[in-house]
Amino acid sequence: MGKSFTGSEILLESLRRQNVKVIFGLPGGAVLPLYDALYSAGIRHLLVRHEQAAAFAADGYARVTGKPGVCLVTSGPGATNLLTALTSALMDSIPVVALTGQVPASLIGKDAFQEADTVGMALPSTKRAFMVRKAADIPSVIQQAFEIAVSGRPGPVLVDLPKSVLVEMAEPSYPVASAGRPRRLREWNEGEVRRAVDMILESNQPLLYVGGGVISAGASGELRELAELTHIPVTTTLMGLGSFPSRHPLSLGMLGMHGSYATNTAVSHCDLMIAVGARFDDRVTGRIDGFATNARKIQLDVDPSEVNKNVRVDLALVGDAHETLQALVAEIRRRGGFSVPPERHQWFQRIGSWRNEHPLDYDKYSNVIKPQYVIETVSRIASEDAIIAVDVGQHQMWAAQFYNFRQPRAWLSSSGLGTMGYGFPAAVGAQMAFPDRQVVAFVGDGGFQMTLNDLATIVQYRVPVKIVVINNRSLGMVRQWQEIFFEKRYCDTDLNFSPDFAKLAESYGIRGSRVEHRADVEDAVRDFLSDREPRLMDFWVDPTENCYPIVPSGASLSEMVVGPPQFRVEEEVLDDLWAV
Amino acid sequence: MQWLLTLESDRDPIVICRLMNIFRRKGLSIETLTLAAKPESFSCITVVDTPGTDIDHIFNFLRSTEGVFNVACYRYEPSSAAAYVFVESNANPESVNRILEALPGSKIIFASQGKYLLEIGSEGRLPQSILELGEAGFLPLSRVKTSRESSQMELVGAYSS
Repeated sequence: MGKSFTGSEILLESLRRQNVKVIFGLPGGAVLPLYDALYSAGIRHLLVRHEQAAAFAADGYARVTGKPGVCLVTSGPGATNLLTALTSALMDSIPVVALTGQVPASLIGKDAFQEADTVGMALPSTKRAFMVRKAADIPSVIQQAFEIAVSGRPGPVLVDLPKSVLVEMAEPSYPVASAGRPRRLREWNEGEVRRAVDMILESNQPLLYVGGGVISAGASGELRELAELTHIPVTTTLMGLGSFPSRHPLSLGMLGMHGSYATNTAVSHCDLMIAVGARFDDRVTGRIDGFATNARKIQLDVDPSEVNKNVRVDLALVGDAHETLQALVAEIRRRGGFSVPPERHQWFQRIGSWRNEHPLDYDKYSNVIKPQYVIETVSRIASEDAIIAVDVGQHQMWAAQFYNFRQPRAWLSSSGLGTMGYGFPAAVGAQMAFPDRQVVAFVGDGGFQMTLNDLATIVQYRVPVKIVVINNRSLGMVRQWQEIFFEKRYCDTDLNFSPDFAKLAESYGIRGSRVEHRADVEDAVRDFLSDREPRLMDFWVDPTENCYPIVPSGASLSEMVVGPPQFRVEEEVLDDLWAV
Repeated sequence: MQWLLTLESDRDPIVICRLMNIFRRKGLSIETLTLAAKPESFSCITVVDTPGTDIDHIFNFLRSTEGVFNVACYRYEPSSAAAYVFVESNANPESVNRILEALPGSKIIFASQGKYLLEIGSEGRLPQSILELGEAGFLPLSRVKTSRESSQMELVGAYSS
């Protein structure tokens, strides 16, 4: 007979075997036995102030490490509070393992106190949701959960743990450790690789369109090798930022709704588009029948269901981006490399001329603080390996446009779901993974008010996150749309009744300050980035600043508006806007 | 356009819930659906109506769904190229036997609750009446995709006589 342990002890040992170092959580009745075991388990636990923050922090941890982030909450409301963050992780393919308490097995289905159908509700928000029925099953379920979270296309997995299972005694049998090792998927064959290479070498005006799949697969090096070898310019999605250095000569930055004029014009004129780990999201493509109409398309994706989902492609290579890009590079080298033809140089010159025609820009001489200036200043002064988290809205897009991205896994953004309130707790998760790196959270005054209660968390655990509030006293992106598309009928976007964020930070015990003059920005940024403690800087920026270029909803990329508009919105476009 | 999908799933009912949710969210019009339980898995066979442009995505989505495996997709095939026939629940079981007798080499690869999927042997040809849907409840098909690794193993499961 082996030794028996409680389900809680078995769970913690299973997590230890998955190399879990930190859990983000908030206790409650159903998980009390687990927290009791955690008391002496040697796994670090960070007490957050709202369960949503636990999952966002786990998401941030996962994005910077590539390993599953773990969150732990109680049953009922604890679990339901996770769902937004899990949906965000699913949309962005981020590996998170969520552990939720559940009422004792005998009470499930009886509408017991704090009972909710967590597994049922998590169904469309997760890659897989399990309920553990017996303590002896915990090791295999946890192993499966971690494997599923990272394999193929990563994503969140939920494990629901009835209280009765947490106290049940069992003799555990732990599976042989293989967890955390992603299963590499490959469905393409050599002939398809050769065909892809033919297409790449034949093209005069090719473009690499790169998404978060490159970062998930750890394929930034292979991407750069392919781009340099074939002299193909690279544009990234919001999720792909950091996969290719912003300042690389072949970098075109972000495409799509707020992509630059040069980038979106290049998309419209390219004759070959190579999509790598990108899903032709509507914010990228604009009106689908106007997207890259001149281009043949090759799609590299680990998820076969992404092929031909939104845009029909000429060739799909289903597989891990790392291995697939390697195969393309190897095939080109096997053919003796590639000497760049004059057409590609001309193509690059054309893109350069579009860049000169309408560069990403803002009023650099304004006396009012321009939000772009704050972001550029932080980008210039922050260390090279700084991690940047953003919330959702105008500041997110300005950061995407003006921050100098140098490396993968240093950019955290709730990109697919667009969840306000994400940035700050995600930064906390990232800082827990890398205590010695600078972690900066750019937040808007709207989104920050959704999760700022976790200021207490960073004080309690001395998590030195730097919070940059881009404060325009409004829900800026919504206000911008009301201005441009709804004839300035500003309906409930005014946030002038917000707290004084600097004083609020002080009340939590965090140094906070407000910056209202352009001349003070640089010194303020230098000062606060050099601090080893958590800090908050409230930058009062121009409340009228809008984010350009913008592709109006329902328009194609070639119909982007590059600056303050002098155009009228037709009735049917307004109808489309309501439908989005 | 009519398609027949067959698949198996883990024995966890939540996977079936997920499956139904996928059908709903992807906008499939379900014309008939049968679930059957085996000791280790569930099997599902369904006839759906969806544009041909969507079926690739749906097939791939199903085969990449955690807990779902052995997905196969069949297209309505009103010609002699039909290699399978789906027999609806209202069909007379005797007619299934008649087809099996009339078409040497044909076999049942799924049977549950009065619904059958038959593979037509290479020696046989479906009667013209079935090809033209003259006989209600018979859907001639050709298989277009499968995620099964072994071409030998055709059983969706839940075969019962």
